[in-house]
Amino acid sequence: MSVIQVDELWKRFRIPHERRVTVLEHLAGLLSILERKRYSYEEFWALKDVNLKLEYGESLGIVGPNGSGKSTLLKLIARVMRPDKGAIKTNGSTASVLELGIGFHSDLTVKENALVYGVIMGLPRSEMRKRTDSILDFAGLTRFQDAKLKSLSSGMQVRLAFSIAIEIEADIFLVDEALAVGDMEFQEKCLNKFREFKKAKKSIVLVSHSMDLVKRFCERTLYLLNGETRAFGPSEEATRQYLEDVKSSTGTN
Amino acid sequence: MSTRTIRHYVDMMTVLAQKDFKIRYRNSVLGFLWSLLNPLAYMVILTLVFSLLLRVSIPNFAAWVLIGILVWRFFSIGTAQGLSTLVANPSLVSKVCIPRHVIVLSNNVANFLGSALEFLVLVPLLALLGVDLTAYALFLPVILVSEFLLVFGLSLSLSALNLRYRDFYQLWDIALQLGFFLSPIVYDASLIPSGFQLVYSLNPVTRLIESARDIFLLNKLPTLFDNAVILSSIAIILAFGFLIFRRLEGRFAEEL
Repeated sequence: MSVIQVDELWKRFRIPHERRVTVLEHLAGLLSILERKRYSYEEFWALKDVNLKLEYGESLGIVGPNGSGKSTLLKLIARVMRPDKGAIKTNGSTASVLELGIGFHSDLTVKENALVYGVIMGLPRSEMRKRTDSILDFAGLTRFQDAKLKSLSSGMQVRLAFSIAIEIEADIFLVDEALAVGDMEFQEKCLNKFREFKKAKKSIVLVSHSMDLVKRFCERTLYLLNGETRAFGPSEEATRQYLEDVKSSTGTN
Repeated sequence: MSTRTIRHYVDMMTVLAQKDFKIRYRNSVLGFLWSLLNPLAYMVILTLVFSLLLRVSIPNFAAWVLIGILVWRFFSIGTAQGLSTLVANPSLVSKVCIPRHVIVLSNNVANFLGSALEFLVLVPLLALLGVDLTAYALFLPVILVSEFLLVFGLSLSLSALNLRYRDFYQLWDIALQLGFFLSPIVYDASLIPSGFQLVYSLNPVTRLIESARDIFLLNKLPTLFDNAVILSSIAIILAFGFLIFRRLEGRFAEEL
């Protein structure tokens, strides 16, 4: 049984030449049509015919240079965006960790923010109330539970968010470079959590620039280049292809 | 929809409404007191200007105008805040898959609670101003819930439109100023020329204000006409709101 199946996926973005967002600018745009200047936008295909299949218990790494469509693909799998063509099927519940601390507000206390974030990420309110103490303990923030979030350092805020995110129960975890932040000890905690997920046969979809991380946790890797599949297969091979491409392009320049 | 989805929706609505409610009053020394002082100060100003200076002959002007102010406050603050919820919470819109209308709904609920509290605290003041409160006052929750549904319907369309065209914020601000004078808040509806009476009276906010004055000052239930206008505008505005929201929702994440 496949956990994620992506078939002939296309995603298009429209980039207006002159980005008009206000009604006034639209009116101005209408006038320029009268002057025979057409309202125009650039069509930009962020993803072109992407196919992939992930079997039960497998994890997926997504690699590629900036702007290659990695985050777009992740957002489509998370159903935050809709595809223009093609289909995405997921089997099981998904938790999207595209950003840590969604819904955080600097004027609320640490504890209040924990409740909001946990519930948004799918944990029941009653469950969150029970777990808040252990979450704050794990994050090392018990002392600050009634302090406003803005009095915490950005690293501490990330730690709080991460400690909540790992409490989410789901079959598929979508993670977007969330690990790049935090100190060494914190990163080690994250890796431990990943190992637990793997043991429990859960799937992780990881967008990352760390080939090492991808090779360690993901059986399969998708290497995207300009929205197209450059390689998809065992992580060892796909990441090697990426490294070779990088070497040859920087070597010839 | 499974019970799990429904429970998650209710949970999200609850925590987000709590959040909005807390944020509204945090960081000010007087907090919720401002929600009482503001309409009271307004009442005093309007009473001074209209009752004493302009000699408007409405019995118990202070109480009469306070009711209008409270009904209007919920409508104007509720829709103005509802309008900016999506733009103010970009990560909730574009980084996590939740039904987006919960963001709008919870903000409206927070303002509904705020407004209900204002009424709860300021209604006894009506008694001090010489109003005989009767059992008809118990009809107030029906009026407030109707107003809430109206605010929710408008917030749905406004928030979605504002995400695409950021100047809906400015446009709505002007519309609210116009609305303030198109509703019988500081003057009596009978001043409107008879030729315009019908159109004027179809404004649901006018009907809500008249209903509230009926139950507090005239000791009678809102008329059938009031209820008919209010209910049909709720139905139309809610349907329209969901339609626009649905239509624009697909591109929310891309346009933020």
